[in-house]
Amino acid sequence: MVVRLISERDQNSARQLVEAQGFRFEENFDVLVGVFDAGELIATAAREGHIFKMICIREDFQGGSLLGELLTELIASCSACRRDNFFVFTKPERRSSFEQLNFRVLVEHPQLCLLEYGNGLQNYLRQQRELVRPGNNGAIVMNANPFTLGHLYLVEQAAAQVDQLYLFVVREDCSTFPFATRIALVREGVAHLANVSVLETSDYAVSRVTFPAYFLKAGADVETLQMEVDLLLFARCLAPAFNITTRFVGTEPYCRVTRHYNETMIRLLAEEGIKTVLLSRREVKGEPISASLVRRLLKKEAFEELDSLVPETTLACLRSHQAAEIHERLRAQGRH
Amino acid sequence: MEIKRAVQAGTMQSSDLMVFIEPADELEIEIESTVKKQFEHLIRAQIEAALETFAICSGRIRVNDRGALDYAIAARLETGLRRACS
Repeated sequence: MVVRLISERDQNSARQLVEAQGFRFEENFDVLVGVFDAGELIATAAREGHIFKMICIREDFQGGSLLGELLTELIASCSACRRDNFFVFTKPERRSSFEQLNFRVLVEHPQLCLLEYGNGLQNYLRQQRELVRPGNNGAIVMNANPFTLGHLYLVEQAAAQVDQLYLFVVREDCSTFPFATRIALVREGVAHLANVSVLETSDYAVSRVTFPAYFLKAGADVETLQMEVDLLLFARCLAPAFNITTRFVGTEPYCRVTRHYNETMIRLLAEEGIKTVLLSRREVKGEPISASLVRRLLKKEAFEELDSLVPETTLACLRSHQAAEIHERLRAQGRH
Repeated sequence: MEIKRAVQAGTMQSSDLMVFIEPADELEIEIESTVKKQFEHLIRAQIEAALETFAICSGRIRVNDRGALDYAIAARLETGLRRACS
């Protein structure tokens, strides 16, 4: 019988089981479950949001129905959270165990496999169906925290090079500006461009459905792997659905992670037959426009300087009373 | 009856199915099955029969099946619908 592992003693048994199989035990999970046999923990699994992780079954109990039992319990523990879909990362050699349970492969990578339970991807693509256009289309994935003249410049340059340009706005809500505000400002900011469509990324680009670090031996390059999964997902699941042949990205002068992401993008998308075009950033007074600069100025409430960095639509929002909450958040925190 | 909340019933085991039900403005049925090619129409018929019994005309019903027999499908649907409507 699958039970919740709540006591420290039980969680320690889970840790031992996970570590015995060469994985790392991660402290952050919403629910941890396990199965006991003769007083000993023989299987464990955890769920964080809609990601299953740390699924370990002792070798002499593998191949039976335990996997299904563990996952059933994890899904039941989530019935109130109205998720459409669940994700799991596993080793490529274990993918068939999940496929038998109706999981579908999203990304196959030499080191790991990302699978989805439920029709999340298909439903997402179906919702966007009206936006699909034939031709040589392009894509930009942006957080737009908030939308600046730099973004606008990037969009205008890119839109001139393709038939239809798709702007994927990162849905994950962990930025200063909430998702609803970010996407609204993007929509307003590009409304004058006829061949640009704005849509959300859902779980399928730059989302929290990233690779859990426990899966790797210490020292492995988690960051690169995470980016590779994200980019493969884009290349294999999103790009074909929207006839995307080119991905545009701005050069990154500041952030190391973003620069690494761009380098990985060029290499990996080329292998998938998608061209990456780097566009240099628009500068104002010799300094590239960036959203982080805008947030810094906003924190100081230097509206006269913001004037030259953001389009009128964004400026109107920054000046409005709905921005009060954002000011509050900016004062309270650091980078993002 | 009316679907009032999001619920789940069933398991992921072989010969069983997982049912997810939630409120929606229209009626939506999604079927996922290891034997979808052969039996989708029969699974759909089971769902439609259950919806008729409970007089439900809107909601989102998702079934993830692993080759359950028809009475198992009927039982899981009934459980799910009773939970969702209570």
